[in-house]
Amino acid sequence: MKGFVAFFEKEVRELVRTKRLMILLAVFVIVGIMNPAVAKLTPKLFELMADELSEQGIVLGEVKVTALDSWTQFVKNMPMALIVMLIMFGGIYTSEYTKGTLIPLLTKGLSRGSVVLSKLAAMLLTWSAGLWLCYGITYFYSDWYWDNSAVNRLGFACFCWWLFGVLMICCIVFFSSFAGSGAQVLLGCGAVYFAMTMAGLYSRAKEYLPTRLCDSAPLYKGELVPSDYTAAAVITAAISAVLVLAALPLTHRRQV
Amino acid sequence: MNVLEVKEIHKSFGSKKVLDGVSFSVPENCVFGFIGRNGAGKTTTMRAVLGLLETDGGEIDVCGQRVSYGNTPTNGCIGYLPDVPEFYGYMNAREYLALCGRITGMDRGDVKKRSSELLELVGLDKESHRIKGYSRGMKQRLGIAQALINRPKLLILDEPTSALDPVGRKEILDIISAAKEQTSVIFSTHILSDVERICSRVAFLEGGKTAFEGGIDEIRAMKGDTALELSLAMSSDTDKLKAAFPAAELREGKLIFPKASDSDCSELMAFLAAQNIPITRLERHESDLEDIFMEVIGK
Repeated sequence: MKGFVAFFEKEVRELVRTKRLMILLAVFVIVGIMNPAVAKLTPKLFELMADELSEQGIVLGEVKVTALDSWTQFVKNMPMALIVMLIMFGGIYTSEYTKGTLIPLLTKGLSRGSVVLSKLAAMLLTWSAGLWLCYGITYFYSDWYWDNSAVNRLGFACFCWWLFGVLMICCIVFFSSFAGSGAQVLLGCGAVYFAMTMAGLYSRAKEYLPTRLCDSAPLYKGELVPSDYTAAAVITAAISAVLVLAALPLTHRRQV
Repeated sequence: MNVLEVKEIHKSFGSKKVLDGVSFSVPENCVFGFIGRNGAGKTTTMRAVLGLLETDGGEIDVCGQRVSYGNTPTNGCIGYLPDVPEFYGYMNAREYLALCGRITGMDRGDVKKRSSELLELVGLDKESHRIKGYSRGMKQRLGIAQALINRPKLLILDEPTSALDPVGRKEILDIISAAKEQTSVIFSTHILSDVERICSRVAFLEGGKTAFEGGIDEIRAMKGDTALELSLAMSSDTDKLKAAFPAAELREGKLIFPKASDSDCSELMAFLAAQNIPITRLERHESDLEDIFMEVIGK
């Protein structure tokens, strides 16, 4: 436990001093502001384009923006923030193995399990802080300009996103236990996402897949309720746990 | 008691046999020189001792406990300096030592006290910059400090002086000599003068095997061979001397008297005086570790 705490503190210090935490939080803040901003600016953009469009024979009626548009932007922009985070964390383990920075610490009795789990904790902390910060900003502005009560299940939808991010972070943990570089880890994460998308083409599998958690629009509109997401959430949590549990013995056997 | 015992360890990488029955032991309070050419398997042996590498056979005991691959509890009594130590560049030396100390389970107060002692020992006590700006020598010194933080019973140093300039080398050797008071040291190198300066025992590694192991004095006594080197003022006297001392050999204009005892030396000097032969130099040449090393590896 002492090793875990000491190494976790080192991870947090690394995130702060290498400016990674600052950059990531900035990305989440920007996305948080962008969601309502894009929604707010959409009618103005249409107005500007109206003349050009009418020349082409397209006549636009009055565009009415609501909080739902802002939250639709949240769903559209969140993958971008998640990808930035995954790229930043892709080499969090492998860079230590290749540089040899872990060797002095492992030979002091630091367990490999502590390394795996403390880095996981640092990533989860960053993801949680970033996501909920983004959510908070979007929530505040959407409510300021429009009315959030028109949109359903905002908190639950964000929780689903959080869980999906946790799965992707656990993919980093798993692939890092045997991959040689950060690029290979990201390739593995990409392959997992691709496989889930492919499986999603089969409509009966859709509701059990982790990708279901990213599909927040039906929740917002009230077409689906949280219980429709239970199967996907349970499966996502189970896969995440299995990935981490599998990574522990693999990292234990890994040559450093 | 032996702090480290290595018995018949084997290791192959693919078809390449790197270790083929390496055995040696390191007693307490000893500076042990682990000598071998580049690629002889020194680093491989050390990594096996640390449980960082899985061996194909053999046994390793540290402080009476068996070493196992992966998480090995024996690392608790070892301090290790890798050949190219890598640290976290965004930390300073004190923060890094604090991290190392806390990992070993020391409390914060003890870590602080011990860090100050060690930074003074390695001459980094006035350094407040981050590690990323450190020179190679400074990193080696910090490496020794981190290896000593938990007062290990065995300090393993992998080629600590290889990449350093003469001043840096001297500093590191002085630090190792000072560390000898607190722990046993095993240090691998191919710089033989370093070994002669500070080691009390050595092992030669050649062809994946321990070619020789013993105390430095023991090795000198067994293999040691005092030769006399004589340079004459006039080369015309050479034949006279060769006739009187048939064992003498002429090499590069000098007469070499191999395996000469003290009485052989006085006999030679008496002969030179009696015959009135002028000389420019007479030197007793003790065979050094390099000669022994060359003999051991068959060069």
